Amino acid sequence: MNELQLLDRYLLIGALLFGIGLVGFLSRRNMIVMFLAAEMMLQGVSLSLVAWGRFHNDWGGQMLVIFILTVAACEAGIALALVLMLYHRSGKLDIAFWQTLREANQPRYVDHLLPDEPVRPEHWPSLPTAGVEPRQPIEELIHRSHV
Amino acid sequence: MTPAGQIALATVLLAAGLWLQLPRGGGRGRALGGVLAAVAVGILLARVVQFNSAHPVAETVFWLLALTTIVSAVGAVTMRSPVYCALWFAVTLLGTAALLLFDGAQFLGIATVVVYAGAILVTFLFVLMLAQPQGHTYYDRVGWEPMLSACTGALLIGLLSASIFAPAEVGGDAVGWRADRVAADARAAEILNGEHMAHLGGQLFSRYLVAVEVAGTLLLVALVGAVAIVAQGSPPVGQAFQPDINGSRLGGGGGPL
Repeated sequence: MNELQLLDRYLLIGALLFGIGLVGFLSRRNMIVMFLAAEMMLQGVSLSLVAWGRFHNDWGGQMLVIFILTVAACEAGIALALVLMLYHRSGKLDIAFWQTLREANQPRYVDHLLPDEPVRPEHWPSLPTAGVEPRQPIEELIHRSHV
Repeated sequence: MTPAGQIALATVLLAAGLWLQLPRGGGRGRALGGVLAAVAVGILLARVVQFNSAHPVAETVFWLLALTTIVSAVGAVTMRSPVYCALWFAVTLLGTAALLLFDGAQFLGIATVVVYAGAILVTFLFVLMLAQPQGHTYYDRVGWEPMLSACTGALLIGLLSASIFAPAEVGGDAVGWRADRVAADARAAEILNGEHMAHLGGQLFSRYLVAVEVAGTLLLVALVGAVAIVAQGSPPVGQAFQPDINGSRLGGGGGPL
C-alpha cells in the first residue's frame, strides 16, 4: 500500500468524522451530546494529523495529537463541571434554556412544545416461579450454637 | 460521472441522509436517512478504494475499521437517548484508536483508549447518570435547525473531500504534496521505527519539552478551575435563575448575570 493512498484514506475518514461531529454540535440541544460531538471533531483532526505525520515522516503530527489529548482532558473536566452547575440551576440539560445569553439583536428562539412521546407498554422480563419453597425447620433457623 | 459530480452527489445525499437521521420532532424516515447517508459515504470512500490484493487481510481490516468508525459516529450524533450517544461514541473511539494503531501511531492508539474511552467517556456517563431526568426528554427529540446543520456539515465534508482529491483529478498536473509521492514512498520511514516509544519519548522530551511543561501547567489550571466552578455550588432554591420557556426572565433581576 503506498503512502499516498494511505494518506488519502485517512484524510477522508478524518473529514467525515469532523463533518459528522459538526452536524451534531450544531443541531443537538443536550449539552452533553454537544460536547461528545465536539470531541468527535477532535478525533477527526487527530486522524488527519497522524496521517500527515506519517506521510512527511515527521513526529510533529503525533506530538500535536498528544497535546490534543491533554487539552481534551482539560476541556472535559471544565465542561462537565460547568454542565453540572448549569443542571443544578435549571434542572435540565437543555442548552436552549440559557438563550438569554444570546446577542441583543438576535430573535428569541420559541420552543414549540412537542406532544409527548407515545408511551409504548413496556414488557419487562419476569421469571416464572420454579418449584416450591422448601419448608425450613424452625428449630434450625433459630438455633444458635454456643458462642 | 465526473469526480466533481460524484462529490456533489455525495454531498447532497449526505445532507439529506443526516437530516433524516437527526432528531427533529418525529421518528420518521430514519431508515431512509441511514440508507442515503450510507450511499453517500460509499460514493466518497469509493474514490479511495483500490483494493490492494497484495495485502488482502490488511485491506479488509482497514475497511472494517473505517466503516465501524463512521457508522458509529453517525449513531453517536443522531441517537435520541444521550446514553446511547455516549455508547456509540465509545465505539467511535475504539475505531479511531484502531485506525491510529493501523497507521503506526502505537502510543496514540493506546492513549486514546485509556484517556478518552477510559476516563473522559466514563466521566460523561457519570454526569449523565447524575443529571439525566427520567425517560426521554423533549430536547432530545428536537434539534436546532436540523436541515441547516446537516447541509453545513455535508458541505464541509464535500469541500474537504474535493480538496483532498482535487490536485490529482481536477488540475491534471500533480502539484504540491502530491508531487511528493515518490519521495514519500522512498523515504526511510523513521515514524515506523521498531522502537516507537523510545523515539516518541525522545522527541517529546527534547524538541517539545517546553510544550510539555505548558501542557502540564494547563492541566493544573484546568483542575483548579473545575474545583472552583463546582465549589461555588448551586444557589438556594429561591434564587435560582428561572427564565420561562422562551428564554425571557421572570421578574426583575435575580439571574446569574
